Amino acid sequence: MLVLVCIVAFPTFFLFYASLHEWVLFKRGMPFIGFENFARVLTSSEFLQSLKVSVIYTFSTTSLTFILGLGLALILNKELKGRGIMRTLIALPLVIPPVVAGFAWKFALNREVGVIGAYMLPAVGFMRSLLADPSLALGSIIMADVWSKTSLMFLILLAGLQVVSPDLYEAARIDGASSWQLFSHVTFPLIKPAVIIALIIRFIDAFNVFDTIFVMTSGGPGTATQTFPLLGWKIGFLYFNLGEAAALAIIMLVMTIGVGIFLIRRIT
Amino acid sequence: MSKNLSKIVGLTVSLAVLILLVSPPAGAAKTEIRVLCFAQGFAWPELFGTSGVDETERLKQFEEKEGLDVRIEWGDETAIRQKVAADLAAATGRYDLILVGTDGGVQTYGYGGFLEPLDKYLEEYPTEYFDPRDFFPSFLDANRVEGTLYALPYYSFGAGVMYRKDIFDKYGLTPPKDADELYEVLEALKSGLRGDGITDVYPVTMRGAPGEEPTLDVAGFVYAWAGYPAWFEGGATTPDQIRDKKAMPIFTGDFAPGFSAFVEISQEYGPPGIATHTWVDMMNIYAMGKAVILMPSAINAYAALGVTEDENVKKYTRFAKIPTGPGGKQIQSFWTFSLGMNKDSRHKKEAWKVLSFLMGKESMQAFAERTQWPNVTMKSVLYSDVLVKRYGMEEIKLNEESILEAEPFYFPYIPELNEYMDRIGTATSEAIAKMKSVDQVLSGLQTWALETMLRGGYYK
Repeated sequence: MLVLVCIVAFPTFFLFYASLHEWVLFKRGMPFIGFENFARVLTSSEFLQSLKVSVIYTFSTTSLTFILGLGLALILNKELKGRGIMRTLIALPLVIPPVVAGFAWKFALNREVGVIGAYMLPAVGFMRSLLADPSLALGSIIMADVWSKTSLMFLILLAGLQVVSPDLYEAARIDGASSWQLFSHVTFPLIKPAVIIALIIRFIDAFNVFDTIFVMTSGGPGTATQTFPLLGWKIGFLYFNLGEAAALAIIMLVMTIGVGIFLIRRIT
Repeated sequence: MSKNLSKIVGLTVSLAVLILLVSPPAGAAKTEIRVLCFAQGFAWPELFGTSGVDETERLKQFEEKEGLDVRIEWGDETAIRQKVAADLAAATGRYDLILVGTDGGVQTYGYGGFLEPLDKYLEEYPTEYFDPRDFFPSFLDANRVEGTLYALPYYSFGAGVMYRKDIFDKYGLTPPKDADELYEVLEALKSGLRGDGITDVYPVTMRGAPGEEPTLDVAGFVYAWAGYPAWFEGGATTPDQIRDKKAMPIFTGDFAPGFSAFVEISQEYGPPGIATHTWVDMMNIYAMGKAVILMPSAINAYAALGVTEDENVKKYTRFAKIPTGPGGKQIQSFWTFSLGMNKDSRHKKEAWKVLSFLMGKESMQAFAERTQWPNVTMKSVLYSDVLVKRYGMEEIKLNEESILEAEPFYFPYIPELNEYMDRIGTATSEAIAKMKSVDQVLSGLQTWALETMLRGGYYK
């Protein structure tokens, strides 16, 4: 209990406390200012921009990794030759640290020296810079994230699929069920708990992602790929406004809990 | 009996273990000085080894002589900057010496009262490790906030044009001396390279990534084009000047021409990915022979020379003084890697000894010998054999002239500097990437700056 108080309750309480105070490193004192930090954060243009980027990024990466992960899990749940090797290969990106993956993608996509950005794409006539073009940068980061995190979805969903008894499929087939009916009436209802867990974990992970984006674009060009965690980091550690950073952290916490509850209720 | 004996033995062993655990280790009488810094293996390898965690003979001798135990903690630059902020905010006093760059750290922590003023240590505790007169004054000045010295510089950088002499010669060009010549040279390089069918070499590499980094260079253009640090009316650079003159931000005024020039040069003559390029990218591009000029932060080309495998880059890279802008001032790019003393340090006199040793002549000389970069803070080291032999007396003199002509206060020293740096850098990136026009980003900066200064109580 004491451990929980120390590592969970106190920091959370202090976060709320800091959010209600003006806490700027270069200013003396820490006066109580009510909800002013929240008002400043919510009305800033950067918040709206980061909200847009965060929503696109989180929705895209969560849904794409889910669809790909589920597809791969369904395929590799079948008796295939080389299934073990394929499962290992698909799971491999998961063991690569996001920072390393981010750097690898950054150098690969680099328009001047990257294997993909400087050589492969120009060879087929595509001359734009994937990371420096505002209309392409977010898509490039989403692609890197999907590459990196699909394996997580795959593993969770594969584990879910493996507990579904083959007898159920056989019984349904005898009743004349099509492949789609098998999936929608047998598979999906039975792996729902795994789906919920996978979606919630992925949503939280995507919503809070910092490392990959930071190393690939630092939120740029401009603020084209600046998600909430990058904005929070800037407010806290570049602007030294710890009160506003705490307010943003609470807003993110509320959003995460809200979406988590929504996912659980909607799917169950 | 045997039970009692077991109890006694058990108790004795437990006590012995406890005593061993709580008793100080041998040599613990030495005062421990903790340093928090980035550039592991690059900074002071002669003291901490190339791994950054060794203890060399040189360091041991210093510790023995001064009765100190120097502990250094390393991390990635971003992580260390965060750690410094977090530790100072928590006022733990855990770290005696901390990294504070002159691009916001010195100013924020100096104004915030987190750093120990060092002037009295220079006067009252003269050190044998350096002669303060040996420092180029501008490098010390850059670490002063309203006249008070808060940090000492290790390595540094000033502005310059690093260029490929072979390519300049090919197109009959000489280094530009002013803005007009700079545009002429860039245009000649662009058309020359195009004419020769070279599409993957760019006339210039600069940095335009979002965040604080490019602002050191953008501000240098603003200074050169306006002829003064044109952030606030009348060139106010301190909180007192801004308050006294009620100097308003002028991002849509005199700030604009230099900013526009930086954006235009990046767009027209830089590599396609420049809107996200940091110093690492500009260094790599130059090192790979994909840019003819690197400017204005010349240090990044010296870094490139250390990593390049391109023989032409090694052989034909030259240094030239940075051009002047239409305002009659030279383009600037000035920064020092500095360590300051934590105001909450419990061993300040001892920390001063370590600080002066780390920033001392021996350290600077070792830096020059290892990196062979002329980005050193002391005149005696700049003119040391290793650098003169490497670059020749003429280039060393050019470097010195650049340092002497540099203006460390080419941007304001205000507590809010870090946020300004980030917002200007991000606006630059937006403009280069054409997300918004120059007018739009500057208008946004102007509105934000006005609100910030009003909220900060500058115009009461």
